[in-house]
Amino acid sequence: MGEGPATIGIIANPVSARDIRRVVANASNLQIADRVNIVLRVLTAVHSLGVNRVLMMPDRGGIRAMLSRHLGRERNLHHQFPAVEFLDMEPISTVDDTFQAARLLQASGVAAIVVLGGDGTHRAVVRELMNGDTGIPIAGLSTGTNNAFPEMRESTLTGMAVALHATGMIAPEYALAPNKLIEVSINEGQRHDIALVDAVISHERHIGARALWKTESLHSLYLTFADPEAIGLSAIGGMLQPVGRRDPGGLAVHLADDGASAGVLLRAPIAPGMLRDVPIAHWEPMPAGQAFTVPLQGGVVALDGEREMPFDAGDRVRVTLRENAFSTVDVARCLHTAAHMGLLRHPSQPHRRHPSWQATRSP
Amino acid sequence: MAGNPFPLSKAELLKAYRTMRTIREFEERLHVDFGRGDIPGFVHLYAGEEAAAAGIMIHLGDGDRIASTHRGHGHCIAKGVDVGEMMLEIYGKKGGSCNGKGGSMHIADLSKGMMGANGILGAGAPLVCGAALAAKYRKKGEVAISFVGDGASNQGTFLESLNLAAVWNLPAIFVVENNGYAESTSRDYGVAVDSYVDRAAGFGLPGITVDGTDFFAVYEAAGEIIRRAREGGGPSLLECKMVRFHGHFEGDAQTYRGPGELDDIRANHDCLKKFAAQVTAAGVISADELAPIDREALAVVEDAVARAKAAPLPTVADLTTDVYVSY
Amino acid sequence: MARKISMKQAINEALDQEMARDPSVICMGEDIVGGAGGEGERDAWGGVLGVTKGLYAKHGDRLMDTPLSESAYIGAAIGAAACGMRPVAELMFIDFMGVCFDQIFNQAAKFKYMFGGKAETPVVIRAMVGAGFRAAAQHSQMLTPLFTHIPGIKVVCPSTPYDTKGLLIQAIRDNDPVIFCEHKNLYGFEGEVPEASYAIPFGEANVVRDGRDATVVAYGLMVHRALEAAASLAKEGIEIEIVDLRTLSPIDMDTVLDSVTKTGRLVCVDEANPRCSIAADVSAQVAMRAFGALKAGIEMVTPPHVPVPFSPPLEDLYIPSAAQVAAAVRKTLKGGRH
Repeated sequence: MGEGPATIGIIANPVSARDIRRVVANASNLQIADRVNIVLRVLTAVHSLGVNRVLMMPDRGGIRAMLSRHLGRERNLHHQFPAVEFLDMEPISTVDDTFQAARLLQASGVAAIVVLGGDGTHRAVVRELMNGDTGIPIAGLSTGTNNAFPEMRESTLTGMAVALHATGMIAPEYALAPNKLIEVSINEGQRHDIALVDAVISHERHIGARALWKTESLHSLYLTFADPEAIGLSAIGGMLQPVGRRDPGGLAVHLADDGASAGVLLRAPIAPGMLRDVPIAHWEPMPAGQAFTVPLQGGVVALDGEREMPFDAGDRVRVTLRENAFSTVDVARCLHTAAHMGLLRHPSQPHRRHPSWQATRSP
Repeated sequence: MAGNPFPLSKAELLKAYRTMRTIREFEERLHVDFGRGDIPGFVHLYAGEEAAAAGIMIHLGDGDRIASTHRGHGHCIAKGVDVGEMMLEIYGKKGGSCNGKGGSMHIADLSKGMMGANGILGAGAPLVCGAALAAKYRKKGEVAISFVGDGASNQGTFLESLNLAAVWNLPAIFVVENNGYAESTSRDYGVAVDSYVDRAAGFGLPGITVDGTDFFAVYEAAGEIIRRAREGGGPSLLECKMVRFHGHFEGDAQTYRGPGELDDIRANHDCLKKFAAQVTAAGVISADELAPIDREALAVVEDAVARAKAAPLPTVADLTTDVYVSY
Repeated sequence: MARKISMKQAINEALDQEMARDPSVICMGEDIVGGAGGEGERDAWGGVLGVTKGLYAKHGDRLMDTPLSESAYIGAAIGAAACGMRPVAELMFIDFMGVCFDQIFNQAAKFKYMFGGKAETPVVIRAMVGAGFRAAAQHSQMLTPLFTHIPGIKVVCPSTPYDTKGLLIQAIRDNDPVIFCEHKNLYGFEGEVPEASYAIPFGEANVVRDGRDATVVAYGLMVHRALEAAASLAKEGIEIEIVDLRTLSPIDMDTVLDSVTKTGRLVCVDEANPRCSIAADVSAQVAMRAFGALKAGIEMVTPPHVPVPFSPPLEDLYIPSAAQVAAAVRKTLKGGRH
């Protein structure tokens, strides 16, 4: 990396943060116009640091349409942006768009993929990246208040970090961080999926409106990390026994049927604006590579907050933590490294509004 | 046997299926009869969109009001309007829901809380504010629901109603049935803000987008929104993303559709097929239990058509009645 | 005898008495209470001209201020009426019906017929009509003929405080949608009004002056112009009969026809623009149904077919005057069939 034009990919999900938590709690809705503004800020940032081509997932939810209008205006104003190309795919407004875009971006050899969305969107991208096995890192941007995996961070900074990695200014061993995930397998791989933060087992056994928010239905949680600062079901683990993103192992939490039989009644922020008392039976570390068999006879597995995999009595559900499963751009470390190494210092060139200093930098 | 995984009893599931199947048979039959020239006027069919009507209306009683659209047959059936009277009405016959004076676009039955299909796009939203206001005064926990298509969501009446409902904290619910087309014009062209949840947010209302072809997704989301409204939590918006099996109106050649689009939505996005697959896969209802409902729905529709064809037409004596209560 | 109160007070009293009598009566409109949500006093306005002032203290939240959003709240009044309430919505100026006309003429007017007789929509929409306030083209129109054209709605336009109270009470109790037109230049006009509640039936014109020589048909402010004309004509020995229509839909043509049959001459006075006006309608019906009784051509006194102008001399020229009415009467008396 570092040779030839630097290219990155962007997958921006137009429909994340529209689920039932807007009504049952007061979860935020990030409007399309805001999502487009986030993308524009990423584009500005990456272009300023030498990325001149961006491949984007097309969508029918309004981001492409509004972004195209904005870029047209920006071009009229002679503002500098990288070349933005939409991937050659026909969006159908389901999660398959994300899968297909991740597939196409891997094939085109982008240096990194910026993902705008919630936990679910990030999960979909990572799932596809696992299939491709290209090791392309992602940089996540949360587009809601409901997410544990992607960071709430100003997108300009994320864009800068991505560009520092994509242009080779910062080497991968400094720019990237390894991540854990949880594999869920039903009947020895008959059905198979992943979770980036939490695989939660619920008694509910139907998918309904997908989002999981009724704590009385919870059976157990399997967590890659448990952050007391996180929102969502993983916060239950975070409040019991914190486990960091980069720490080895995960956490398994088993819930009691009711408060009376619970060892602990824990009050946790299981969704934005929603604190619930959750009856805890016990919890235990989840070492990497060790399969946990779910003892529940019939239910649904929710992956990163959404009911995805219903199972019946007799179905054998196993969950396993994997370490070093995929890479993310470590934004904080990139920016600190850039400061430490003076990467963004350059000679004063007062007469050039758009310095192309990066083209002449030393290798 | 793991039991019923769904939040509805088996009887309720069968009722929902019967509602959806009856709508489907009703609409597909109208498609055929209109093509034969048996039906006067304009007809807009709801086929393909049944899960939204059924998933919402199953939460409602007769005291809850709805205002429908020009594509209203499904809402009527799901709200409990008599199918036989509806068919008489669509055929323009005496004894129809509106005695032959309304037709397909204006079927109403206030005793069932059905405030009328409406030939004016977006007109139902202010009416629903009024119905919700009346419910607020009555204090019985009733709600009112306005249905609007993605196209009519651009009407000022709709946007003004979102504001009024928010200002007055009405037990009003706004359902956007997004089938992707305003007549022949793509939603992508005609709606400047691409998410209806964004529109609701602009008025400070919560909103949800659900897969409107998935009965269970609609059921759960609608249930929460309706409960919230009943308990004084105020108005909300529900966007159901759905598909339209037929044209804007009957006789529409639908040349604006993409190649293979109709085959795809019938094959892969049929809410009835999805429902049947979900309940049979869960082992709650067998295909053998659904089949008789299919036959009964067909029989109900065939009987309604036969009676409608045989029924008398209105006469000159009917022309000038029912303009006023008194005049 | 009854005390004298203004038309404005008569409206207020009618609303007050009906709200006290029937809990399903609610009022809504822009600033009908006033001051909602502000830090100052509630009931700050009581309507833009103070007509509903004081009702909030008695009836509280049954009077609702609305956003400036006529489509939504007129539609809401109609929807509430279809669900068992008896809303009285104030449209402020009738000119504003342009932004909510669909709700009036496609919704309220049609429910009864279009739904096969099963729906009732007992809504009253109050609105100020008429010129003379120097308020120009968008706040001064009559527009009464636009509503009378539409089957399914009733149209009322009273000329006195007595009629106003009785007709408004009837409008609220009536089970059909009613457009209640209040002439803004009559708000201060005083007359005897009983304190007790009473209703005046719709479709009954009032012969406000007996006369043998000619019939003058008028409504609203024009009744007063006709009365002025009658006073000057009487000095010339001409006695006109004045029919105040009071309700325009239904319209009491029997009383008009009886009078024309007696006098043989007809002058129609209307503050609405002349084309397809109430005056044109009455003229046409008399020509059709009592042609044999007419001794001369029918005369119409209306504004010219122009918008209402702003500048005071122009507006004064616009509004039909007593002199124009008197001139039309003299003309019809000169004309004749030989």
